[in-house]
Amino acid sequence: MKNKYVFVLVMLFTILVVSFGFTNIYVSHSQPEADEDFVVVTSFYPMYIASMNVIGDTEGITLKNLSEPQTGCLHDFQLTPADMKLLSTADVFVINGGGIESFMEDIAKQYPELVVVEACEGIELLCEEDTHGHAHSHSEEEDIHGDEEHDQEFELGHSHDEDAHNHDLNAHAWMSVELYRKQVENIANGLAKAAPKSTESFLANAGMYDRKLEALQVEQEKLLTLTQGEEVILFHCAYDYVAEDLGLETAFCMDLDEERQVSAGEVAEVLEVIQHNGVKYIFAEALYGTDMCEMVQKEVDVEVIYLDPLNRGEYEADSYIEGMRKNLKLIGEVFQ
Amino acid sequence: MINWTSWLDYSFMRNALVAILIITPLFALLGTMIVNKKMAYFSDALGHSALTGIAVGVVFGMQDTTISMVIFAVVFALLLNKISSRNTASTDTIISVFSSCSVAIGLAILSAGGNFSKYSAILVGDILSITTQEIGYLVGIFAFTILFWIFGFNYLNAISIHRTVAKSKQIPVKLMDNLFAVLVALIVMLSIKWIGILIINALLILPAASARNISENIREYHLFSLIFSLFSGIVGLVVSYYTNVATGPMIVIIASVIYFATYLYGRRK
Repeated sequence: MKNKYVFVLVMLFTILVVSFGFTNIYVSHSQPEADEDFVVVTSFYPMYIASMNVIGDTEGITLKNLSEPQTGCLHDFQLTPADMKLLSTADVFVINGGGIESFMEDIAKQYPELVVVEACEGIELLCEEDTHGHAHSHSEEEDIHGDEEHDQEFELGHSHDEDAHNHDLNAHAWMSVELYRKQVENIANGLAKAAPKSTESFLANAGMYDRKLEALQVEQEKLLTLTQGEEVILFHCAYDYVAEDLGLETAFCMDLDEERQVSAGEVAEVLEVIQHNGVKYIFAEALYGTDMCEMVQKEVDVEVIYLDPLNRGEYEADSYIEGMRKNLKLIGEVFQ
Repeated sequence: MINWTSWLDYSFMRNALVAILIITPLFALLGTMIVNKKMAYFSDALGHSALTGIAVGVVFGMQDTTISMVIFAVVFALLLNKISSRNTASTDTIISVFSSCSVAIGLAILSAGGNFSKYSAILVGDILSITTQEIGYLVGIFAFTILFWIFGFNYLNAISIHRTVAKSKQIPVKLMDNLFAVLVALIVMLSIKWIGILIINALLILPAASARNISENIREYHLFSLIFSLFSGIVGLVVSYYTNVATGPMIVIIASVIYFATYLYGRRK
């Protein structure tokens, strides 16, 4: 009888000691850091890379990214307690904007004092409807566009996109080199305002980075002669911006991303569009689009180009430029 | 060395702590009866019906899907009770049919357009989703459960031991069964958002099952169940906070460790 209570006590105590002990080891291993710094937190990968280039080796600034490197786009991202903790130490929070950070409302409530720099500020984002070319569910949109495009393009049952993105804006602006340059500029100005001590350093770094991006944009414009006016199918809405930059027409856009299940009907629709419009090229993301593309290629003769949406990867300063250059190279090879 | 109280600085963690202090004793109490009545499968099915409840709410365009979830779960529980009392097939078959059917409907609606990922948080639970309003509901339910337990426990216990004898003693078997099912439905639905569909049943069953391993009478059974439940709840919450792991699974891991320890201890005798 008594043994039992002793046993329970010993058991609970052991569990307590072991679990807290492990937690202690885990915590002390994972965050050895100085906390006097000015802390800049970014919402996800492209913002991190942009801020990294702006900050460079400026003294006294710590840069951290909110979500784990593998999160990709933030459409369905849930903040974890660790993220909330991280944000509570932040001085500035750099976000992409355009509705991709759907959790901003919660954050604004929890941390009303936090300075937020929105990279998309002043940038005219593409509308998701524009390229999806379907005429349902948004009467305002219909009024603006009139009928001319809808008659030719296929109407697709994509009503879920409206829910998923809150706004109907396509927030993947970093995929356009031109807009990305503007984002970098916005971030540099925002950070300069928030940390006046380092203004010069920020602006100088941003200027240096911008020159590299400018060179990249020139490279991209060389492709225009090959690509202008061709039709493509996109399996990731981020590529809308690539298509826009390259003067490509989007015949169809379907977002294949995290946990997206495609129904048989949608596959049929894609095939129909390809055959009907004679589309020859597909832009897809290797991670989520491979299965779909292989299936489509079995059915019809079409070139698939696997582009990197640049929303995850190595935490290197030049990874955006390298990734984009690789994308352009792939496109250039296929269109030749 | 880490600061072991820093987690209390955040309002969402304080909310979570209050919720755990209310919900784990309830789980412990109900769990003892669920284990006695061999209803583990029933409560599991109930948890899964949350998906359908949300789907129904989405279809009707409700702002707060918690309400649709609760209503659906109550209806589901009553229906399940009614049909399984008819005894046409064995109870586990009927529950399984109901459960898979409701999950299928829920998944079909929620995944329309391939967009299930938005709801996937409910599978593993999200501790940030606890609101002050929900804590208010929980307090109400807490009071109700305690009353129900004080007045109804002997009846429930009698029923779980022998239905027919209980009936012959003028105990309202059906009413008690239904009340109990509704109570389980309410509590499961109000905590499922932050514990997660996949593991909520473990939280109901494990503390009671562990307690059963080592108890000799009803009083011990309740006491141990309560201790285990509270303990795993609080330790799980704190550990999950510092290690950045989802809270529900962490609580269940600790509850499982307790289960295995008590199992080994109980077998030794």
